Amino acid sequence: MTTRQDILDKTREIIIESLPELEGQSFDESTVINTDTGIDSMGFTLIICRLEAAFNVRIPNRQWQKLSTLGDVVDAIEKRLPKQ
Amino acid sequence: MPMRFDGFESLLSFQARSLPHAPALVYERGEEQQVCTYGELFLLIQQRAKALRAAGCHSLGVLCDGSFSCIIEIFAAVLGGKRVSLFNENTPDELLFGQVASAQVDCLWGDGELCEVLSPYIVKEAPGGAGQILFFTSGTTSVSKAVVLTDKSLMASAYNGSALLPLTQADRLLCLLPLDHVFGFVCGLLWGLSCGAAVALGRGPRHYGDDCGFFKPTALSAVPLLLGFLLQHRAINPELQLVLVGAGGCPPAILQGAKAMGLRVHFGYGLTETSSGVALSLGEDPYAMTVCPEDTLSIAPDGEVLIYAPTCLMQGYWQHPEDTAAAVKNGVLYTGDVGRLDEQGRLILTGRKKEMLVLPDGTKLFLPEYEGAIREALGREGCIVEGKTGPILLLEGVAQDTAPLWEKLLPLIRQRPRSQQIVKIDFYGGPLPRTASGKIMRWAIQRKGEQP
Repeated sequence: MTTRQDILDKTREIIIESLPELEGQSFDESTVINTDTGIDSMGFTLIICRLEAAFNVRIPNRQWQKLSTLGDVVDAIEKRLPKQ
Repeated sequence: MPMRFDGFESLLSFQARSLPHAPALVYERGEEQQVCTYGELFLLIQQRAKALRAAGCHSLGVLCDGSFSCIIEIFAAVLGGKRVSLFNENTPDELLFGQVASAQVDCLWGDGELCEVLSPYIVKEAPGGAGQILFFTSGTTSVSKAVVLTDKSLMASAYNGSALLPLTQADRLLCLLPLDHVFGFVCGLLWGLSCGAAVALGRGPRHYGDDCGFFKPTALSAVPLLLGFLLQHRAINPELQLVLVGAGGCPPAILQGAKAMGLRVHFGYGLTETSSGVALSLGEDPYAMTVCPEDTLSIAPDGEVLIYAPTCLMQGYWQHPEDTAAAVKNGVLYTGDVGRLDEQGRLILTGRKKEMLVLPDGTKLFLPEYEGAIREALGREGCIVEGKTGPILLLEGVAQDTAPLWEKLLPLIRQRPRSQQIVKIDFYGGPLPRTASGKIMRWAIQRKGEQP
């Protein structure tokens, strides 16, 4: 069963893959994506697409604007995971 | 020499006659490339235009998704005599509701679920306006306004671009930019069609990283952020030769990266109000832009760039005659940009006069109203928003813990498009410089920030 922590860990892993210079920085659910990570809107798109593929979910494009913190991203994925 | 078309119908009918079997649009269906020839395209558009003519509506709103069907619908609606308003389906709710309501549309095309959500904002009987196409821009206020263009002005703009930067029938132009943005519409679509090239329709943001590999374009229109992304992720195909960058200043690092890959990069300058580009860089200096053949540029005594573009100029801001009168005087558009003309008459931009940020994704952020909302949320007066690579909030005073500030800011910035969301909070280190009347001197802060 996929837990919130699993989603957060995977998100962190994908962010580091995309921006290796963030290695060593701590992320939690309150981390503001644009601000604390320096990820721009294109980078954000890439990360969301990778997360969608990793968890086999699809977050509607219209929802992307509303994802400000890593917690928001975890919520959006968790809500769409197949019921286990 | 490129052809000059006086509207969508003349473009489509001419290309259908001249190049009936040449590919016009290339798009994905079932993970394979589909090709629609110029002959087929015109036929499909004519059929849909006939159906739209028979339908009762006068004003069609299109929730642009960049698909093949979306393009058919836009062209058909214009040929069918409708007024067309283009919306970005990913615009945050409140903003989109306001745009649809203000455009006065009596029917909508797009995602069914979203059309349903927007149905309360559709009017029963809308004013028409055959050939008018409305593009939303932040213009001079944060309340987005529609700029009224026409298929004629858009084709004049496409001609301007093609005259300086022609494509051939052997070219394939990749359209990755949103069609509700005039740069995307003209330089991502009409530029290619008016030259008889094939236009490949990008598959949306999920495919930014692999669309070049899939469609193998020879030419691409991009905003700086997108080009930077493609270079960073090595998502450029070997066939790509030409990149037209517009809708915002391009950092030198991106330009160098593109040149290192052997790409020919040209910059374009234009506004929604001029139906896209009025000047393009052609030579070695990418920041010196040659004025397009049908436009005349001059510089006001205070440095403001003035544009006389009779064939490309907007009809006005939709139902905002005062704003139109303030922006256009005696047929001349006051751009709010500051620049100079070099000895060869080429435009070199040096800054902005209006209190506005042009963001790396090509959108504009009108600052006074945004800053007003931030001041209210934070309960502090001394702040401005600045930044070339993303909005940075600069606060008066010395550095302090930003966590409580973020807590107050988040509800506000969540309502904004991602590109407008504050990326960083900085502190000026003391009082912000102000005029005698107490107004913050934005230009002095920017100049200080630019000093080495």
